[in-house]
This record gives sequence, C-alpha cells and structure tokens, in this order.
Amino acid sequence: MTRNNSLLSKIFLIILSCYLLLPFVVTLVYSVFMEWTNGIPSGFTLRNYTLLFSDIEFWLSIGRTILLCTVSVLFTIIILLLAMYVVVVENNKLGNYMQFICMIPYALQGVILSISVISLYSTSESILSNRILMLFGAYSILVLPYIYQGIRNCMNSIDAKMLLEAAQMLGCNKFIAYIKIILPNIIFGLLISALLAESIVFGDFVLANNITGNNYQNVQVYLNKKMFTSSGLSSAIVVVIFFVVFAITGFLLKLQNYRKKG
Amino acid sequence: MKYLSKKIPYIALFPFLFVVFCYEFLPLVELAISSLTGKQSGSIGFENFIRIFTTPLYQKSIINSIYISLFSSIIGLIIAFLAAHFCHESSPKVQQRMAMILNMTSNFSGIPLAFAFMILMGNTGILTLLGKNFSIPFLDGFNLYGTDGLMIVYIYFQIPLATILLIPAFNGIKPQWKEAAIILNANSFNYWVKIIIPYMIPSLLGTLSVLFANALAAYATAYAIVMNNYALLALQITSKYKGDVQIDKATGGALAIILILLMVIATVINNYFMKRSVKGRSII
Repeated sequence: MTRNNSLLSKIFLIILSCYLLLPFVVTLVYSVFMEWTNGIPSGFTLRNYTLLFSDIEFWLSIGRTILLCTVSVLFTIIILLLAMYVVVVENNKLGNYMQFICMIPYALQGVILSISVISLYSTSESILSNRILMLFGAYSILVLPYIYQGIRNCMNSIDAKMLLEAAQMLGCNKFIAYIKIILPNIIFGLLISALLAESIVFGDFVLANNITGNNYQNVQVYLNKKMFTSSGLSSAIVVVIFFVVFAITGFLLKLQNYRKKG
Repeated sequence: MKYLSKKIPYIALFPFLFVVFCYEFLPLVELAISSLTGKQSGSIGFENFIRIFTTPLYQKSIINSIYISLFSSIIGLIIAFLAAHFCHESSPKVQQRMAMILNMTSNFSGIPLAFAFMILMGNTGILTLLGKNFSIPFLDGFNLYGTDGLMIVYIYFQIPLATILLIPAFNGIKPQWKEAAIILNANSFNYWVKIIIPYMIPSLLGTLSVLFANALAAYATAYAIVMNNYALLALQITSKYKGDVQIDKATGGALAIILILLMVIATVINNYFMKRSVKGRSII
C-alpha cells in the first residue's frame, strides 16, 4: 500500500477510536469532578465513589447480579451437558432439533422473552408466579444459544463421537467416558462461552426490570433508579459496571488468544 | 424390557426439555394465543392486528422502529466497512489495539450508554453547551430525547458490532486478487467495484440484517433516554405489561408478534446470504 493510504487509515482509525471512547471517557471524568459546566471540569473529588461504596443498596444489587449470573449460567451448562450426552452418545439425529430449540432465544432477545414469561406466569397461582424464579428461568433461556454454541463447537473440534467410540471399545462405560474423557477436553471452551454468557447476564436490564423490577434490583436496575436522583453517583456506577464488563471480556480475549496459540 | 433399558439414557434430556418447555415454548404459545384473542370481543381472530394497524400510535411505533433500525444499521455499516478495511491494511499491532477498543465499546450498551450520552448531549450536556457557546449548528440545541437522539445513540452502538462482524470478511480477501487485477490492467476503482464489493455483498447484507435485528430489539437504551414517551415498538410492547395500568395481553401480544415477524425476516435474509457466501467460498 502507498504511504498516503496508510496515513489516511491511521487518521481514520484514530478519529474512530476517539469517537468510540468519548462517551466512556466523559463519564469517567464526570464522575471524579464536582462541576463541569463551562467546558472545563473543576474540583477533583472521589466523593461519588465513597458515597457509592458506602451504599448498602449498591452492594446488595451487586450481590444479586453475581448470584443471577452464576446460578443461571451454571444451571444452563448442566442441563445442556446432560442433554448433549444424549445427542452425542445415543442419538445424533436429535442434534438438529436441539440446535433449532437453542437458537430461538437468539431471535427473541430480552423484550419478547420477558413479556412472554410475565404474560404466562404472572397470573398463575403456583410457585411459578414467583418473580425471582421467573427471572432465573428467563436468564437460562437467554444464555442458551451462547452456551449451546460453545459446547457444540468444542464437541465438534475434539471429535467427541470418535473419542467415545474408542473408549467404549476399550471397555469403558459410555456415561463414565463422557464425564472422564469428553468433559475435561471441553472445559476450556466451556469456560469461554460461560464468561460470554456472564457478561450478557451482567449487562442485562430488560429482563430484570420487566420481571422483578424494584423487588429484586440488579445493578442495572439500580443504576436506572439512581439516574433520577444523582447524576454524580450514576456516573460512578457506570464506570464500575464498565470496568467489570471490561475485565470479563479482557479475560475472555486472553483465553481465546491462549487457545489459538496453544 | 431390553427396549426400555435402551431408552433410559434419554432421561438426561428431561431437565433441558422441562426448562425449554416452561420458559421458551409455553410463553411463546401464550403470546400467540393472546395476540389472536380479541381485546373487546374475546373471540379468536385478527381483531388486535387490525386495531394495531389502524391506530396512529402503533403505526408510528412500527414505522419509527423500522426507520431508526434500518437507518442506524446502514450508517453503522458504512462506517464499519471503512473501519474494517483500514484495520485490515494496518499492522498487527494496530489491529490488536483496534480489536480491544471494539470489544470494549461493543460492551458499552444499555443504560450505561444512555447515561453517557445524556452527559454528552443531553439538554445541559457537555457537547450541547459547547455547541451553544460556539453556536455549532448540529450541537446547538440538540434534542437527545427524540428521533435524532435515538438515532445518534443507535449508530454509536452499531459501529463496533458491525466492524467486529466485517473484519473476518476482509481477512478472506487474497492478495493475489489485487495482483491479478493489476496484471489485467484494472485500476483501483475497477478493483473495488468489480471484485471486492461483489465478494463482500453476502457479508455486508448478512451483517446488515444482524444490525437491523439488534436495533429492533434494543430496549434498555431507548427506555433510559425517552422512557415510554416515544412511539417505538419495543417500548410500546413492554408498556403493555408494566406499570399501574392493568396488563393488556391482547395488544402487547399482537405487537410482540409483529416484532418477532420483523426479526424473523431479518434472520431469514441473514441465513440466506450466509449460506450463499459459504457456497461461494467452497467453489474457489
């Protein structure tokens, strides 16, 4: 490529990067200054952060978010691993149906998933009308496509079927072979898709706000509530959320690069 | 007996099927039934859909949703096309850095993103005030809480996603193509219009449909910016199930079905082009 071209590409990429980073940088600066009215921020302070970290409601919302993330993702992994056992060991033909079922939530996304679950269970008299249970159920469906894809790609890349046949020929029980041979081989890939799913649940507002709302606030719902009372505090929450999500995705990228090299 | 024992491993499917049945299948069936059950008459039919298509608020919601989604997707795609092209030309170090920025910012969405834009371009936002002080045309008196504002925010979150999706397509371009084109006396314009663009068309259209569906289903950002005071499909659907008013399953269900249909159309288009692009590559 000519020199001219590479200069142009540099300028374009720098402008684009600045544009993309601008909202975050502005929020970060906003969160550590008292005032920002005349173009230049003034009065450096960490007051927003001390206020935020001493708010018990904030820690409760973080706790709930972590609980929602881990339980729903772990639960989905377990049910999918069990179901994939049948697909891989017993009947490969079920794979197509399974893929279809697991891809539907991808097209539904948060809005439709949440309102359809509310519509069905909110008037029910049984335990299913429990809003927190509804939220866990909906999250399990929300992360289904991502975890399914992860598991399936791993199984394909290690040729799970052939490994199992080899184990069986050597006299190993099918289920034990699945646990002892297949699982350790896919655990790394599983970790990657689990992290991706975590970041999705962590960033979710629609499901939490529609299904449980103020009764079981996750960190996004907490932020939405605080936006009406204190913009300083809200900016601190935004920064914290961003760093958590960034840490998760950074770790994810590292893992992916490591796998590519390994 | 032997037949039965052969079927025992199938028990492992039950937990999965149970969850999918309770939280995916049944809710969708319920949605379909309530959309077809008339709000006034209570009988099965297309009453709700007819009402939606004749009520100005819902008409406007559907039009706004399609307009904002399509427009933000196209602008996002154009910027992403240039970004992916320039990334592809850059050194591995720059590529790595861009990948990090794109990944970071593609996760900056929903309520946090809406908040950041309020600080930037809200009524007393930093850029808005700068625009006022220096009377910059677009920024002076910019209204974030309307169509323009939503469009700006939607375009912002489309760019990183679109670039991430387009980079692999650029990586498929072989240097030999350019050499061959130069040998055959093609100029730069011919090379782009006759070789690269046709090669990229499936990826571009596939990405466009992903972006369209992404914008169509976006809720948190719009909710934080305009609350429920704006005619947008995702907002209107949700408002039927929330708040102090009684749940309106009939209207909400029918609106949801319309949103699903729009998403399905986008997905079908995407699948069609993805398949074509796979076929196209396997021939080479």
